[in-house]
Amino acid sequence: MAAGMRSFAALRTTAIVLCLLVAAVAPARAKTPDAALAELLKEARAKVPEACSQPNVDRLIKILCAKKIRVGIRDYYPLFATRAGEKREGYEVDVALAIGRMLGVDVDFVRVNAATRIPLLAEDRIDLAIATMGHNTQRDGQARFIRPHYYRSETTVVGPRELPVASMLDLPGRTVCVTVGNGSNAELVSQGARLMLFDEAGVLPDRLKDQTCTLAAQDDSFFAKYFTDEDFNSRYFQKFGFAQVPWGMAVARQGSAELARALDLISQVFHRDGLFVDIGRLHSIRLGFLRQQQEVWRKPECNTDSGTSNPNCVLPPLNTALQPTSFAADVTGFEQWVEERTGVDVTLPMLKTAPAWSLFKDGVIYSLILIAGALAATLIFALMLGAAMGSRSFVLRWPARLLTIALQSSPIVLTLVIAATVAHSLFALSTETVLAAAIAALGLTNGANAGQAIGEAMWSLRAEGANAGLFGRALSRAATQIVAFLVNASKGTPIASFIGAPELLSSLTDITSFSSGRITTYTILLVFYTAVVMVVVWLCGKLRQVLENRQVAA
Amino acid sequence: MNALWENLSSDFLPRFLAGMAVNFEIAAIALIIGLALGLLLAAGRLAGGVFTAITVSIIALMRAAPTFVVMFFLLNAIPRDATLFGVPFALSGVMTVALSLVPYSAAYVADAGVDAIRHLRAGATHGALLFLPNVTRAFFVMVMSSSAGAAIGVTEGITVILRQAEQLANFNDRLVLFAIGIVLFGIPLQAGFMLMSLFQRRFGRSTVEEEASA
Repeated sequence: MAAGMRSFAALRTTAIVLCLLVAAVAPARAKTPDAALAELLKEARAKVPEACSQPNVDRLIKILCAKKIRVGIRDYYPLFATRAGEKREGYEVDVALAIGRMLGVDVDFVRVNAATRIPLLAEDRIDLAIATMGHNTQRDGQARFIRPHYYRSETTVVGPRELPVASMLDLPGRTVCVTVGNGSNAELVSQGARLMLFDEAGVLPDRLKDQTCTLAAQDDSFFAKYFTDEDFNSRYFQKFGFAQVPWGMAVARQGSAELARALDLISQVFHRDGLFVDIGRLHSIRLGFLRQQQEVWRKPECNTDSGTSNPNCVLPPLNTALQPTSFAADVTGFEQWVEERTGVDVTLPMLKTAPAWSLFKDGVIYSLILIAGALAATLIFALMLGAAMGSRSFVLRWPARLLTIALQSSPIVLTLVIAATVAHSLFALSTETVLAAAIAALGLTNGANAGQAIGEAMWSLRAEGANAGLFGRALSRAATQIVAFLVNASKGTPIASFIGAPELLSSLTDITSFSSGRITTYTILLVFYTAVVMVVVWLCGKLRQVLENRQVAA
Repeated sequence: MNALWENLSSDFLPRFLAGMAVNFEIAAIALIIGLALGLLLAAGRLAGGVFTAITVSIIALMRAAPTFVVMFFLLNAIPRDATLFGVPFALSGVMTVALSLVPYSAAYVADAGVDAIRHLRAGATHGALLFLPNVTRAFFVMVMSSSAGAAIGVTEGITVILRQAEQLANFNDRLVLFAIGIVLFGIPLQAGFMLMSLFQRRFGRSTVEEEASA
């Protein structure tokens, strides 16, 4: 019995020790976000009304004191936030109302747009912005974003259903209509797409309908409304999406720590309980991201009061920061210096970020290669076709004449497209192929005209009875025409951008698609090409002199 | 080939002809503005002194400015909400292409205008009338150059062909379509050049006779 008692005591002691050990080793059981939110709100409410008159209290206290939250919202963003008179509706509107209910306060809507949503937060004119705002690293320094994110958009490429485009791989050589400044433009450019720029997204569906654009790329949330239209939906299709951006509600960085924490927890609960999905379904927005997030926030590791700081649960902001050049600060200084002294707003985006600087340098180099190539090709084709057209042989003369007539009848844009189509059918798509096709097209077009002048000069010399050194004398006689078409070839080189040649016009269009300063940029482009053509004119003038002196000597 | 005809939409030809009409419209606008500006420049060039120096420089700059770059400059430099004397001044696609051709057109008219004025001063009326076929030549060059509008979404002839070509999967069909485009553009162009050559030859002969008798 005593032995039994001893063994029971030993067992009890062991059990107590084990329990103590488990209690010491195991982590404290995490609170649920609901409990953390309830506690946070309880503490905040306990400070009301005493804290209402105190300066520098957290905005959560101010909201509870005022019994209303001022929410910055957009007036017209179909499906997300629209306003007809006093009536507002949309996904973001209902999210704001649900937040108001959670906090136990009314919602006061304030109109914001893309330019005002962050400044209004900083100026304390709104407490919260729910305004289609993508969360990126650049904005992270300007506002405190609420996580988890309440939506995620992506850039979607839309085109006619019958058009065979399924991925980025199908984009090289195709023109895509985009809006200036869209963060995803750089990615389209890097995939070889040509961009047609527009100031506002609102025009893109119309440009698709009138066939100005074959493809258009824009935020999927923008196109969502159009795909609810039967006619649009039957004609167009979302080919693929890329550049996903999480959307975040945001509060001011200063004085909003408790409000931000409360909203983090509310957002977490809304995801876990499927409220975001329900509201999204009500407004016919795409639910894929919201459903995915619901799964995430139902996981035990995320469904805790510390879930919003767990990198396995929350999404990072989109990294949009472009690496600055080593001389970016000097360029900014120069821009300010010019503005202070002249009042002219000069912006030089091509010198300030590494990708833009690289594009700019490549553009200048390729432009010069293209001009040199076009001049050489024009001269070579002029000599060949001139000799053929001036020949007495019918077999040489007529094919050359027919080719010349065809080239003269084809607008240069069409000739370039034909050259690019043939080149792509023979060789793999590359910068070299496109440049070679452009040089061939420009050389053939201008060389055929100059060659015709040489041929005519040969026949006129024969008519005058000349026979010796006929070709050399014909060159001298046709000097003016040869020079004119050489100049024309150099002036035509920017058109090569139409088939995707990476010359300066292409490069600067790409740069302006993701940065500001369009006027300065295109002024630089105009000055560059005009100066280069003037140099070519001067050099060609020298060539003409040489050719004409030879004629005089002959 | 049969596949091409099947794939060519029934309204291709009407759309192409409407597109070509836009090419002619652009060239006409550019020529009218170019005539006004070019004749002023021609007068300035013959005025002598500092006027001549200034106009010669302006003409040289206009001659050197590439049409395609000017077009993109106009497209990007003029804000959509721009006003001129309080009147909205937003350029349509057609006007943007037309204005981009004005530097070429004005420089050409100025050169041809100077020759014509010199002939007139010398009493060679027929020589001065050569101004007309020269301007016609510039007009046809601009009809062809206006195809640059395809790059900014203007629905002109080449745009219609390129849109149609995008619907064709077969390489040979595309080439045939491009050939059709060349023929359709070539007919009015070659006819215009032939007419102009006839006119030029006739007046050229008269000019020689006129100068011989002077």
